Amino acid sequence: MAKFTITNGKTVTKPFNKIWIILAIVIVLLIIFWQFIKFNPEFIALDQLGIILKKMFTPKGTRTWGDYFKYMLRLKEPLLDTLQMSFAGSILGSALAIPVAILAARNIFKKKFIYVPIRFLMNLIRTIPAMILALISVFFVGIGVLSGILAITLFTFGIMAKMLYEVIETVDMNPFEALESTGANKTQAFRYAVMPQILPVFVSYLIYVFEMNVRASAILGYVGAGGIGTVIKDNILYNYDRVGASVIVMLVLILVVQFLSNFLRSKLQ
Amino acid sequence: MIKFVDVKKTYLNGVQALKGINLEVKDGEFLAIIGLSGAGKSTLLRSINKMIDITSGKLFIDDIEISSIKGRELRMLRRSIGMIFQSFNLVRKMSVFNNVLTGRVAYHSTFKTIFGLFPREDKILALDSLDAMGILDKAFTRADQLSGGQQQRVALARALTQKPKLILADEPVASLDPITTVQVMDDFAKINKEFGITIIANMHHVDLALKYATRIIGINDGQVVFDGNASEVTDDILVKIYGRSLKHDEVLGE
Repeated sequence: MAKFTITNGKTVTKPFNKIWIILAIVIVLLIIFWQFIKFNPEFIALDQLGIILKKMFTPKGTRTWGDYFKYMLRLKEPLLDTLQMSFAGSILGSALAIPVAILAARNIFKKKFIYVPIRFLMNLIRTIPAMILALISVFFVGIGVLSGILAITLFTFGIMAKMLYEVIETVDMNPFEALESTGANKTQAFRYAVMPQILPVFVSYLIYVFEMNVRASAILGYVGAGGIGTVIKDNILYNYDRVGASVIVMLVLILVVQFLSNFLRSKLQ
Repeated sequence: MIKFVDVKKTYLNGVQALKGINLEVKDGEFLAIIGLSGAGKSTLLRSINKMIDITSGKLFIDDIEISSIKGRELRMLRRSIGMIFQSFNLVRKMSVFNNVLTGRVAYHSTFKTIFGLFPREDKILALDSLDAMGILDKAFTRADQLSGGQQQRVALARALTQKPKLILADEPVASLDPITTVQVMDDFAKINKEFGITIIANMHHVDLALKYATRIIGINDGQVVFDGNASEVTDDILVKIYGRSLKHDEVLGE
């Protein structure tokens, strides 16, 4: 605790900064966890990495580079599946998130018995990893794009509902009061005082979530949700070159989506 | 006509904001309510459009007792009363025109308004109101691009678009600089005279209240301690309202 005596003799005490306690706890925890990590240098095989990378990015056996690139073109369909899954899932999940986010926002629905259970449900959905959501979806609607859409819808819903209600809670409520004073009902006041404030943020989040979903859906294919992930899974044991080709086109797709996403979101500011 | 009969308001935290208000406001008056912060000015104003519900007593607007009305009836009442706020309460990201148009929302069904569709008459009314406030040229500017005084005029235009018979103003010029303050007060005077709209305003600056209002209500600790013409307000009366002489920041100065 630092004590200051200012020029006229008065003393001021600066309270102890809690950050030091937190920092100490974090360091202690790090040291403890370090003991549990089993680290065996013999298992590190850097040469294997080189071999696998070479297998992935050169044509296999009798295949030529022409085959390698032709194969990339054949990936058009699973690639479109991936995009379609992400797009449909992002839109559906975000649309479902809107009413739930409104119910969860404390400044709109002031009743605890509404927003507490809604938030609990939202948190519950968010604890389920996308991969598990995909497995459950495959169980319900079978292998294919539809289960991918379902999984991404649920995944998007979890994220968007949470992000949206937080945006709604930071909204300036003064115009809402003004709208109510003109005789507008709560729905109308929400439409004219809150919606214009959250809409740009909503669209920006929607684009970002789509970008995230393109990345996620690549993995989802692994458990049978269709798209490029399925192609990778089918080839990973015998055809490293095809996995490599898939990885390249996936990377290009993700880069393009990211670029578009950044561009569109910067236009929204 | 507005009539308060022994109106009391006690907040949930036990604060007694109004301790038996009796007051009558005739149509066309320009009323200024003065008093210290926390004297109950805001509560008094907000009880008129039921943004705050009173605890006991009766409140009549045009001979209708309003303390028990709710739902549609309440919204119809609010529709006929414009309200002006200290911080303007505009949707900052929306255009001036759209902000003013929200004054018409309560005239239409929820379904229609969800889609943002307004009849042509409403749009013309909104533009007329902007013109009356001298800011027609700002109609398609975003509200947050405007100065404070201009924003308050947009708020006034929004209130006018409601076609109100009464405008309540809660510290309408408290966040404006002295020059803009005079301009906005002139707008209030214009609305009062030309449109014949009753105005009830909470005022922080006593000299402004005395200059513009036709009648002054002094509130101290939830009670009316003065009710009369601006010319009748003497230093003694100000001491009664404020419990002390005026501080420097409570007069705007010449």
